[in-house]
Amino acid sequence: MGNCLKRSTTDDISLLRGSDSVRESSSDQLGPSPYQETLPIQAATPVYHPSPSVTRSVAQLTEEEQVKIAKRIGLIQHLPTGTYDGCKKARECVICMVEFLVGDAVRYLPCMHTYHMACIDDWLMRSLTCPSCMEPVDAALLTSYETN
Amino acid sequence: MAGMSPSERRLQKELMSLVKEPPPGVTVHADLVEKNLLQWIINMEGASGTLYEGESFQLQFKFSNKYPFDSPEVTFVGSNIPVHPHVYSNGHICLSILTDDWSPALSVQAVCLSIVSMLSSCKEKKRPPDNAFYVKTCSKNPKKTKWWYHDDSV
Repeated sequence: MGNCLKRSTTDDISLLRGSDSVRESSSDQLGPSPYQETLPIQAATPVYHPSPSVTRSVAQLTEEEQVKIAKRIGLIQHLPTGTYDGCKKARECVICMVEFLVGDAVRYLPCMHTYHMACIDDWLMRSLTCPSCMEPVDAALLTSYETN
Repeated sequence: MAGMSPSERRLQKELMSLVKEPPPGVTVHADLVEKNLLQWIINMEGASGTLYEGESFQLQFKFSNKYPFDSPEVTFVGSNIPVHPHVYSNGHICLSILTDDWSPALSVQAVCLSIVSMLSSCKEKKRPPDNAFYVKTCSKNPKKTKWWYHDDSV
Protein backbone atom coordinates (compact mmCIF):
# COMPACT_ATOMS: atom_id res chain seq x y z
CA MET A 1 0.00 0.00 0.00
CA GLY A 2 2.86 2.32 -0.77
CA ASN A 3 0.78 4.82 -2.64
CA CYS A 4 -1.84 5.56 0.03
CA LEU A 5 -0.70 9.13 0.34
CA LYS A 6 -0.69 9.79 -3.35
CA ARG A 7 -4.25 8.55 -3.60
CA SER A 8 -5.57 10.60 -0.73
CA THR A 9 -4.67 13.82 -2.47
CA THR A 10 -6.77 13.05 -5.51
CA ASP A 11 -10.21 13.15 -3.99
CA ASP A 12 -12.61 11.37 -6.28
CA ILE A 13 -10.06 9.33 -8.16
CA SER A 14 -9.17 7.59 -4.90
CA LEU A 15 -12.63 6.09 -4.88
CA LEU A 16 -12.73 5.09 -8.47
CA ARG A 17 -10.26 2.31 -8.33
CA GLY A 18 -10.35 -1.31 -9.30
CA SER A 19 -7.62 -1.32 -11.89
CA ASP A 20 -4.99 -0.45 -9.31
CA SER A 21 -3.03 -3.64 -9.37
CA VAL A 22 -2.80 -3.39 -13.12
CA ARG A 23 -1.56 0.16 -12.93
CA GLU A 24 0.98 -0.59 -10.22
CA SER A 25 2.47 -3.62 -11.86
CA SER A 26 2.56 -2.16 -15.34
CA SER A 27 4.34 0.98 -14.19
CA ASP A 28 6.76 -1.12 -12.13
CA GLN A 29 7.74 -3.22 -15.07
CA LEU A 30 7.84 -0.59 -17.74
CA GLY A 31 9.45 2.22 -15.81
CA PRO A 32 9.83 5.38 -17.85
CA SER A 33 8.82 4.55 -21.38
CA PRO A 34 7.52 6.34 -24.45
CA TYR A 35 4.08 4.96 -23.58
CA GLN A 36 4.04 6.55 -20.19
CA GLU A 37 1.72 9.32 -21.19
CA THR A 38 -0.95 7.12 -22.65
CA LEU A 39 -0.91 4.52 -19.88
CA PRO A 40 -2.48 6.58 -17.08
CA ILE A 41 -5.35 7.51 -19.35
CA GLN A 42 -6.20 3.89 -20.02
CA ALA A 43 -5.79 2.96 -16.38
CA ALA A 44 -7.96 5.87 -15.30
CA THR A 45 -11.07 4.45 -16.98
CA PRO A 46 -13.20 4.13 -13.87
CA VAL A 47 -14.61 0.76 -12.92
CA TYR A 48 -17.59 0.58 -10.59
CA HIS A 49 -19.37 -2.05 -8.54
CA PRO A 50 -23.11 -1.28 -8.37
CA SER A 51 -23.37 -4.42 -6.24
CA PRO A 52 -20.55 -6.40 -4.66
CA SER A 53 -19.97 -8.95 -7.39
CA VAL A 54 -20.80 -6.75 -10.38
CA THR A 55 -18.02 -4.87 -12.18
CA ARG A 56 -18.79 -2.35 -14.89
CA SER A 57 -17.15 0.55 -16.61
CA VAL A 58 -18.81 3.93 -16.36
CA ALA A 59 -20.28 3.67 -19.86
CA GLN A 60 -22.15 0.50 -18.97
CA LEU A 61 -23.93 1.89 -15.91
CA THR A 62 -27.65 2.55 -15.93
CA GLU A 63 -28.86 5.94 -14.76
CA GLU A 64 -30.13 4.38 -11.55
CA GLU A 65 -26.75 2.83 -10.84
CA GLN A 66 -25.00 6.12 -11.53
CA VAL A 67 -27.17 7.84 -8.93
CA LYS A 68 -26.55 5.04 -6.46
CA ILE A 69 -22.79 5.30 -6.94
CA ALA A 70 -22.75 9.10 -6.75
CA LYS A 71 -24.66 8.91 -3.45
CA ARG A 72 -22.25 6.31 -2.19
CA ILE A 73 -19.18 8.42 -3.03
CA GLY A 74 -20.77 11.33 -1.16
CA LEU A 75 -21.47 9.15 1.84
CA ILE A 76 -17.97 7.69 1.96
CA GLN A 77 -16.52 11.19 1.91
CA HIS A 78 -18.47 12.00 5.06
CA LEU A 79 -16.69 9.28 7.01
CA PRO A 80 -13.86 10.66 9.13
CA THR A 81 -10.27 10.13 8.02
CA GLY A 82 -6.95 10.66 9.71
CA THR A 83 -3.41 9.43 9.91
CA TYR A 84 -2.44 6.49 12.07
CA ASP A 85 -0.90 7.73 15.30
CA GLY A 86 0.37 4.46 16.74
CA CYS A 87 -2.86 3.73 18.64
CA LYS A 88 -2.62 0.24 20.09
CA LYS A 89 -6.28 -0.70 19.61
CA ALA A 90 -5.93 -1.18 15.88
CA ARG A 91 -2.61 -2.68 14.87
CA GLU A 92 -3.36 -4.20 11.52
CA CYS A 93 -5.66 -3.39 8.62
CA VAL A 94 -7.70 -6.60 8.33
CA ILE A 95 -8.29 -6.01 4.63
CA CYS A 96 -4.67 -6.04 3.43
CA MET A 97 -3.40 -7.75 6.63
CA VAL A 98 -0.55 -5.25 6.85
CA GLU A 99 0.32 -3.53 10.14
CA PHE A 100 -0.48 0.16 10.32
CA LEU A 101 2.53 2.43 10.17
CA VAL A 102 2.52 5.82 11.84
CA GLY A 103 1.41 8.30 9.19
CA ASP A 104 -0.70 5.86 7.14
CA ALA A 105 -3.93 7.38 5.83
CA VAL A 106 -6.79 5.65 7.65
CA ARG A 107 -10.58 5.90 7.72
CA TYR A 108 -12.74 5.40 10.80
CA LEU A 109 -16.16 3.77 10.44
CA PRO A 110 -19.05 4.68 12.78
CA CYS A 111 -18.59 1.33 14.56
CA MET A 112 -15.05 2.51 15.40
CA HIS A 113 -13.29 -0.04 13.22
CA THR A 114 -10.27 1.42 11.43
CA TYR A 115 -8.80 0.55 8.02
CA HIS A 116 -6.36 1.94 5.51
CA MET A 117 -8.31 4.52 3.56
CA ALA A 118 -7.45 2.94 0.20
CA CYS A 119 -8.49 -0.52 1.43
CA ILE A 120 -11.82 0.40 2.99
CA ASP A 121 -12.84 2.79 0.21
CA ASP A 122 -12.39 -0.02 -2.30
CA TRP A 123 -14.72 -2.21 -0.22
CA LEU A 124 -17.30 0.49 0.56
CA MET A 125 -17.73 1.10 -3.16
CA ARG A 126 -18.98 -2.50 -3.31
CA SER A 127 -20.81 -2.82 -0.02
CA LEU A 128 -21.67 -0.26 2.66
CA THR A 129 -20.93 -2.59 5.56
CA CYS A 130 -18.06 -2.81 8.00
CA PRO A 131 -15.96 -5.87 7.04
CA SER A 132 -15.32 -6.68 10.71
CA CYS A 133 -18.74 -6.36 12.32
CA MET A 134 -21.06 -6.20 9.28
CA GLU A 135 -22.64 -3.03 10.69
CA PRO A 136 -24.34 -1.10 7.86
CA VAL A 137 -22.27 2.06 7.54
CA ASP A 138 -25.04 4.28 6.18
CA ALA A 139 -27.52 3.51 8.97
CA ALA A 140 -24.88 4.09 11.64
CA LEU A 141 -23.84 7.36 10.01
CA LEU A 142 -27.43 8.64 10.04
CA THR A 143 -27.82 7.68 13.70
CA SER A 144 -24.64 9.51 14.64
CA TYR A 145 -25.94 12.66 12.93
CA GLU A 146 -29.21 12.46 14.84
CA THR A 147 -27.64 11.98 18.24
CA ASN A 148 -24.93 14.63 17.85
CA MET B 1 7.45 -9.57 -1.15
CA ALA B 2 8.52 -6.86 -3.56
CA GLY B 3 6.77 -6.81 -6.92
CA MET B 4 3.65 -8.51 -5.56
CA SER B 5 0.15 -7.14 -5.99
CA PRO B 6 -1.85 -6.42 -2.80
CA SER B 7 -3.86 -9.61 -3.28
CA GLU B 8 -0.72 -11.72 -3.70
CA ARG B 9 0.83 -10.13 -0.64
CA ARG B 10 -2.24 -10.96 1.41
CA LEU B 11 -2.39 -14.53 0.11
CA GLN B 12 1.29 -15.02 0.93
CA LYS B 13 0.62 -13.86 4.51
CA GLU B 14 -2.38 -16.14 4.82
CA LEU B 15 -0.37 -19.07 3.51
CA MET B 16 2.38 -18.52 6.06
CA SER B 17 -0.03 -18.34 8.98
CA LEU B 18 -1.99 -21.39 7.77
CA VAL B 19 1.22 -23.41 7.54
CA LYS B 20 2.39 -22.20 10.95
CA GLU B 21 -0.88 -22.46 12.89
CA PRO B 22 -3.39 -24.56 10.98
CA PRO B 23 -6.86 -25.07 12.51
CA PRO B 24 -7.42 -28.67 13.73
CA GLY B 25 -7.82 -31.11 10.84
CA VAL B 26 -6.79 -28.59 8.18
CA THR B 27 -3.58 -28.78 6.15
CA VAL B 28 -2.56 -26.79 3.12
CA HIS B 29 -0.48 -28.17 0.23
CA ALA B 30 2.07 -25.38 0.57
CA ASP B 31 4.39 -26.55 -2.21
CA LEU B 32 1.50 -26.55 -4.70
CA VAL B 33 0.35 -23.12 -3.56
CA GLU B 34 3.80 -21.65 -3.89
CA LYS B 35 3.73 -22.50 -7.59
CA ASN B 36 0.42 -20.72 -8.04
CA LEU B 37 -0.78 -18.43 -5.26
CA LEU B 38 -4.17 -18.02 -6.89
CA GLN B 39 -5.16 -21.68 -6.56
CA TRP B 40 -4.96 -23.59 -3.29
CA ILE B 41 -5.66 -27.19 -2.36
CA ILE B 42 -6.52 -27.81 1.28
CA ASN B 43 -6.95 -31.11 3.07
CA MET B 44 -9.72 -31.35 5.61
CA GLU B 45 -10.30 -34.16 8.09
CA GLY B 46 -13.80 -34.88 9.36
CA ALA B 47 -13.88 -33.86 13.03
CA SER B 48 -13.99 -36.68 15.59
CA GLY B 49 -17.35 -37.32 17.16
CA THR B 50 -19.17 -36.19 13.98
CA LEU B 51 -20.71 -38.08 11.06
CA TYR B 52 -17.54 -37.41 9.05
CA GLU B 53 -15.04 -38.81 11.54
CA GLY B 54 -12.29 -40.76 9.76
CA GLU B 55 -13.08 -39.23 6.34
CA SER B 56 -10.81 -36.81 4.56
CA PHE B 57 -11.75 -34.25 1.94
CA GLN B 58 -10.02 -31.86 -0.43
CA LEU B 59 -11.06 -28.26 -0.87
CA GLN B 60 -10.03 -26.11 -3.81
CA PHE B 61 -9.78 -22.33 -3.41
CA LYS B 62 -9.51 -20.11 -6.49
CA PHE B 63 -8.76 -16.42 -6.00
CA SER B 64 -9.14 -13.52 -8.42
CA ASN B 65 -6.73 -10.59 -8.48
CA LYS B 66 -9.46 -8.63 -6.65
CA TYR B 67 -9.19 -10.81 -3.54
CA PRO B 68 -10.06 -10.03 -0.72
CA PHE B 69 -12.70 -7.72 -2.20
CA ASP B 70 -13.99 -10.64 -4.27
CA SER B 71 -14.74 -13.86 -2.43
CA PRO B 72 -12.72 -16.96 -3.32
CA GLU B 73 -14.33 -19.71 -5.38
CA VAL B 74 -14.42 -22.69 -3.01
CA THR B 75 -15.39 -26.24 -3.99
CA PHE B 76 -14.78 -29.76 -2.78
CA VAL B 77 -12.64 -31.70 -5.26
CA GLY B 78 -11.22 -35.19 -5.53
CA SER B 79 -12.72 -38.61 -4.99
CA ASN B 80 -14.50 -37.99 -1.70
CA ILE B 81 -17.14 -35.23 -1.77
CA PRO B 82 -18.87 -35.07 1.63
CA VAL B 83 -22.48 -36.20 1.61
CA HIS B 84 -24.15 -33.20 3.23
CA PRO B 85 -27.43 -31.30 2.64
CA HIS B 86 -25.46 -28.20 1.54
CA VAL B 87 -22.84 -29.92 -0.61
CA TYR B 88 -23.71 -30.93 -4.17
CA SER B 89 -22.18 -34.06 -5.63
CA ASN B 90 -20.07 -31.91 -8.02
CA GLY B 91 -18.39 -30.31 -5.00
CA HIS B 92 -20.30 -27.01 -5.01
CA ILE B 93 -21.07 -25.70 -1.51
CA CYS B 94 -24.14 -23.68 -0.56
CA LEU B 95 -22.67 -21.36 2.08
CA SER B 96 -23.60 -17.68 2.27
CA ILE B 97 -20.15 -16.37 3.29
CA LEU B 98 -18.85 -17.59 -0.07
CA THR B 99 -21.07 -15.14 -1.95
CA ASP B 100 -23.60 -12.70 -0.45
CA ASP B 101 -22.15 -12.55 3.05
CA TRP B 102 -18.48 -12.42 2.07
CA SER B 103 -16.37 -9.79 3.82
CA PRO B 104 -12.71 -8.90 3.17
CA ALA B 105 -12.10 -9.48 6.89
CA LEU B 106 -12.72 -13.18 6.27
CA SER B 107 -9.83 -15.41 5.27
CA VAL B 108 -8.99 -18.89 4.01
CA GLN B 109 -8.78 -19.96 7.64
CA ALA B 110 -12.19 -18.48 8.47
CA VAL B 111 -13.75 -20.21 5.45
CA CYS B 112 -12.18 -23.56 6.45
CA LEU B 113 -13.48 -23.23 10.01
CA SER B 114 -16.91 -22.39 8.70
CA ILE B 115 -16.94 -25.47 6.46
CA VAL B 116 -15.66 -27.74 9.27
CA SER B 117 -18.45 -26.45 11.49
CA MET B 118 -21.03 -26.87 8.71
CA LEU B 119 -19.99 -30.52 8.37
CA SER B 120 -19.82 -31.07 12.12
CA SER B 121 -23.37 -29.90 12.81
CA CYS B 122 -24.85 -32.29 10.25
CA LYS B 123 -27.29 -34.83 11.69
CA GLU B 124 -28.04 -36.92 8.63
CA LYS B 125 -25.81 -37.56 5.64
CA LYS B 126 -27.81 -36.74 2.54
CA ARG B 127 -27.44 -34.70 -0.65
CA PRO B 128 -29.39 -31.48 -1.23
CA PRO B 129 -32.93 -32.29 -2.46
CA ASP B 130 -32.28 -30.68 -5.87
CA ASN B 131 -28.86 -32.30 -6.37
CA ALA B 132 -29.55 -34.10 -9.66
CA PHE B 133 -31.10 -31.06 -11.33
CA TYR B 134 -28.48 -28.62 -10.02
CA VAL B 135 -25.50 -30.71 -11.05
CA LYS B 136 -26.94 -31.09 -14.56
CA THR B 137 -27.72 -27.40 -15.07
CA CYS B 138 -25.24 -25.38 -12.99
CA SER B 139 -22.30 -23.28 -14.13
CA LYS B 140 -18.82 -24.60 -13.50
CA ASN B 141 -18.26 -21.64 -11.20
CA PRO B 142 -20.40 -21.87 -8.03
CA LYS B 143 -20.18 -18.11 -7.63
CA LYS B 144 -22.41 -17.80 -10.72
CA THR B 145 -25.18 -19.72 -8.96
CA LYS B 146 -27.99 -17.66 -7.50
CA TRP B 147 -28.06 -19.38 -4.13
CA TRP B 148 -31.08 -19.35 -1.85
CA TYR B 149 -29.87 -19.47 1.73
CA HIS B 150 -32.78 -20.64 3.81
CA ASP B 151 -31.59 -23.26 6.26
CA ASP B 152 -29.15 -22.26 8.97
CA SER B 153 -29.57 -25.38 11.10
CA VAL B 154 -26.82 -27.45 9.43
